[in-house]
Amino acid sequence: MKTIADHLFDILENSVNAQANKIVVKLSFNNKIFSCQIRDNGIATNLEDVTDPFVTSRKTRKVGLGLPLLKATVEATGGYLEIVPLRKKSGTKVKFNINMNHIDARPFGDLAAVFTDALLSWPEVDFEIRIVNHKQEKKILDTVDLKKDLQTDQLNNIEIQDYIKKYLQDELIKIGINQQFGD
Amino acid sequence: MKNLEELKKIREKVRKSLEMRSGDFQVKIVVCLGTCGIAAGARQTMNRFAELIAQSGRTDLIISTTGCAGFCEQEPMIKIQEKGKEPVTYGKVDVQAAEEIFHQHVLQGQVVNQYLFTKGE
Repeated sequence: MKTIADHLFDILENSVNAQANKIVVKLSFNNKIFSCQIRDNGIATNLEDVTDPFVTSRKTRKVGLGLPLLKATVEATGGYLEIVPLRKKSGTKVKFNINMNHIDARPFGDLAAVFTDALLSWPEVDFEIRIVNHKQEKKILDTVDLKKDLQTDQLNNIEIQDYIKKYLQDELIKIGINQQFGD
Repeated sequence: MKNLEELKKIREKVRKSLEMRSGDFQVKIVVCLGTCGIAAGARQTMNRFAELIAQSGRTDLIISTTGCAGFCEQEPMIKIQEKGKEPVTYGKVDVQAAEEIFHQHVLQGQVVNQYLFTKGE
C-alpha cells in the first residue's frame, strides 16, 4: 500500500465484505498524530488473530493481508491498531493511530477520494464521516441525508462525486490533512 | 455541504441523467478491489473507467466491483461483461490499459489481446 488512503479503502472493503450497510468513520489530526476510527454494522467474525496473515474469513485463499499490512504501517510509526467487536449491536470497530512525523510514515494520499470511490464501488452502503477537532465533533458527510437532499438513491454519479470530493478535501485541509504528511 | 444552490443544481443534473438511464446495461465493467487490487492501483483504474464512461455520454455502461479473484499477481484485474457474450478478464490493467480496453473493447467490442488474462467465467 502506497498511502494511508489505500489502507483506509481496504478497511472499508472489509466492512462491506462483512455485509455492513452503514459505516461511520471518525478522523482527527492533532500534533501530527492521525487517528482514525471505523465502525460498521457488519457481522463481526472471529476477531482473534485477524492481524495474523494466515487468518482470514475468506474461502478462496488461506491468507488475508489487509489488516496485517495496516498493522505494519501503523506500528512502523509507533502507532497502534485496535480491532474490537461491538457487543451491544453487531459490528466491528477498527481504530488506528499513525504518527505522521515519523520517518517511516506513509503519505496520506487522497483521503477524500477514498470516500467517493467507496460510494462508487458500493452504492448500497451508507457512510457517515465525522471530524474530531479539539474534542469537538463535526459531521461532514452523511449519505442518508445527502440522498434525501438530492432526492435520489444513487450517489454513484460523477457530478455528485466531484462535488463531494472537493467538499471533503476542503474539510480535511482545515484540520491539516493534505495528500502528503499533513500540515 | 448544505450549500443549497449547488445542491439544487446537482439535483437537476442527476435527475436528467437518471431519466436517460435505461436501467438495462450493455457492458458491465467489474473491477477487483481486494487488498491486492487496491495495493496495485485498482482505484485509479476504476476512476479512469468512471471518467471515460461519463465522457462517452453512454448510459448503458456500468461499473461494478468484486473482491480478490485469487490471481493477485495479475492485479489490477477487471472483467468486461458484454450482454449476451462470454465475459473477458484482463490483468495488469493500469490507467493506460484501461483507456485502451475502454476504447477498443467496451465501445467497439474487440478484445485487447495485450492485457487478456482469460475468456469465460
